[in-house]
Amino acid sequence: MSTNLIDHAIPQEAATILPERITRFPFPFSADSYRYSTNIEPALKPVSTEAGGWGTRLLDIDEHYLQELGERAAVLQRDPSRLQVLPHMRPAVWDAITTLLPIMADEHPETMSFERKGDSCRWQNRLHNLDLEFTAGVDASLPAEPLLFLGSQIQDDIALLDQRENALWLDAGLVTFAADWSLGFDVGMKFLEVHGPVPRVHDEQIITRAQQFLMNLQPGEKYRRTNWTMTVGRRLDTSTETYPEWAQDRSAVVTDPALPDRLHLRVEVQHLIRLPHSGAILFLVRTHLLSLADIARVPAWRERLGRVLAELPPDMAGYKGISRYREAASAWLLAG
Amino acid sequence: MTATALLAGGLKLQVAEVTAQTPSITSITFTDPAGGPLPAYVPGSHLLVQCGDGVNAYSLTGSGRSPSDYSVSVLRVASGAGGSAAMHRLRAGDRVLVSRPRSAFTPMATARHHLLIAGGIGVTPMLSHARAAAEWGMAATMIYMYRPAEGAHVPELRELLDTRLVECTDRGSFRQALAEKLSSQRLGTHLYVCGPAAFMESVLASARELGWPETRLHSEPFGTPELDAGQPFRAKLTRSGIQVEIPAGVSLLEALEGADVGVPNMCRKGVCGECSVAVLRGTPQHRDLYLSEDQKASGRTMMCCVSRSLDQELELDL
Amino acid sequence: MGPMSTPPSRTIYATFGAEAHSGAGPETGHQSGTEFRPDLAVGQASPDSLKRLKDVLNQAYVGVRLVIAGPSADILAARAAAAECGMVEEEMTLLHRVDGHRRVFCAHCRATTSMPEASAHEIGCSGCATVLSVSEHFSRRLAAHLGYAAHAEEAA
Repeated sequence: MSTNLIDHAIPQEAATILPERITRFPFPFSADSYRYSTNIEPALKPVSTEAGGWGTRLLDIDEHYLQELGERAAVLQRDPSRLQVLPHMRPAVWDAITTLLPIMADEHPETMSFERKGDSCRWQNRLHNLDLEFTAGVDASLPAEPLLFLGSQIQDDIALLDQRENALWLDAGLVTFAADWSLGFDVGMKFLEVHGPVPRVHDEQIITRAQQFLMNLQPGEKYRRTNWTMTVGRRLDTSTETYPEWAQDRSAVVTDPALPDRLHLRVEVQHLIRLPHSGAILFLVRTHLLSLADIARVPAWRERLGRVLAELPPDMAGYKGISRYREAASAWLLAG
Repeated sequence: MTATALLAGGLKLQVAEVTAQTPSITSITFTDPAGGPLPAYVPGSHLLVQCGDGVNAYSLTGSGRSPSDYSVSVLRVASGAGGSAAMHRLRAGDRVLVSRPRSAFTPMATARHHLLIAGGIGVTPMLSHARAAAEWGMAATMIYMYRPAEGAHVPELRELLDTRLVECTDRGSFRQALAEKLSSQRLGTHLYVCGPAAFMESVLASARELGWPETRLHSEPFGTPELDAGQPFRAKLTRSGIQVEIPAGVSLLEALEGADVGVPNMCRKGVCGECSVAVLRGTPQHRDLYLSEDQKASGRTMMCCVSRSLDQELELDL
Repeated sequence: MGPMSTPPSRTIYATFGAEAHSGAGPETGHQSGTEFRPDLAVGQASPDSLKRLKDVLNQAYVGVRLVIAGPSADILAARAAAAECGMVEEEMTLLHRVDGHRRVFCAHCRATTSMPEASAHEIGCSGCATVLSVSEHFSRRLAAHLGYAAHAEEAA
């Protein structure tokens, strides 16, 4: 097995030969056990990992850009309910567009550019061969529904939260790569209701604190957190809608000799941004998948993930949907 | 409020234009000296402006969408601390330090209709709301009460709102207009009021009397949500054997970092719980959202990113 | 408030299910002699009855209150309809009669199925016939619980 080649390599040497999907992977664990916490930190803070590092960009574009956006378009074609915009969220959607496109252009000047004079905007994205002039606030000046358009330019899933009645409300979104939830069902819910099914966090006041934090954000402030689960295959669309299509993989993978290649650690880098004009909260969810075989190429990650999976309490494992295979995964990782 | 911390990361702008609105109200327009665009803002936002000896908050009067300038209108207050007089002395070309716009009086996205009630200089955030409503095709109605000859921004408001602007220059006609509007708004209407404190109180009281729920009532709350700069104090670090002085406006965490005492931290806003430090002596002034009431009462732990000290000295296990 | 005559704050009553038995009569006014008569009294929350509720609310002014009484499933649907008209939580009072009925939203085909027994954890979807596992996750907008394919992870 190829992992043996670098089993004894020290991290610095490993970093020079590992592929980018590993060196840039946002490995989320800083200890051998994992519990929920309000793990929020300022955006754009560089993070170094045993294999490399991540975190210096708000909008991460990687080798999967065109393929993932193609997959998003296909998912939307099959199921348009992945796009939800309650009518009062139109200004927030435009705010997200005019906030994110300039940031993306700044972060990727070699392929993208954005210019704005008053409400006249020009967006160029060479990865799509796109040169677009549009008018901010005018839906018809875009080639698609505005949030759909934004979702065709960034790999992140998008959610927009309105703040009123001393709460945050999930009132718009474009979510094609959900980790076992349904935007079509959740749209219109309060932030606390959205998180209703998550175990433990309510007793520990974690969601209440997160909401309070978000409600206090000032326009332009940007924060970040990570979340994780596991997925069988490089399947981004693990929404509740398509659950019957992928549910059986969860049991089938347990005894599959190809488990290390099939089973992926799924890490979400989530950005939380108070939009400057609408005052809405923009929630971006960028999903990264890395197979256990790849994880194992970084010895520190292999051991840490193995221990986290072994130690995770049953209710948390159940909620994450990993109960059936986590022991097998942990055993493989810790067996080295 | 000591606003040094708020002005950090602020903008150095130039006065582009000074216009007299009324004998006592002057509009001042600021632009980027380099001619660049300014950060967008939420309608109803205010700026902190450093002028003369002090820092004062003024409502921005634009819609906030893609602004090329920031405009405020300032009433000269004879009895004030002098901030308004200094503002009135500004001339085109002067440079001032302003904060980034701060939002505390947001229009409700779900509103079907905005009912804006302005008293005197309180018209400034209401003008911002009226402009944003017009830009987004939202319906807005305004009742504007001002003293004869002291109505600022009247021509703009007449153009923006047309028949949906009710101007009142005496108390009787204002009360009548208010009662009429308060009892004839369709469901989904939100009310916003800005003006002298007594004016706001009486408008809100009338609305409540007519059955308006709190959810639909919004009034300008200057200077509330920010944590203030706090009092200076000293931290004695028992394990490191050093003392660190924490001036007003500097957080304990920042002061510790300045003294090369690293504390693990994440959010720096008092929610994540990462920067907790053990308190051995002294009473912390808890300002975080992380610790429970019981934990706060015990006084044995504090979040050093936002919390301070009620005593002049704290002893910490660092 | 000076000489203005102000309308009294009004309360609109809407009743569903058995509570609506007296509702065969006219649907305006809620006090007739000594007999209580709701503004709207209907058997269940259907698209038609909810539209009638919305028509009443769309004519109402701020200051109004809404009282909804009946089986939980119906009044939660009525609450969602009222929220669509711009009503806020503070303006609504819900009088639940807990009878075990639930509405279940199928995540896979988006049909809503009426479930007679809350004690049951599974129900056949009226849209796609999938056996749904009924979760506690509840959408105020859809006024329904989330249902998703039961036993889907078990090997075929």
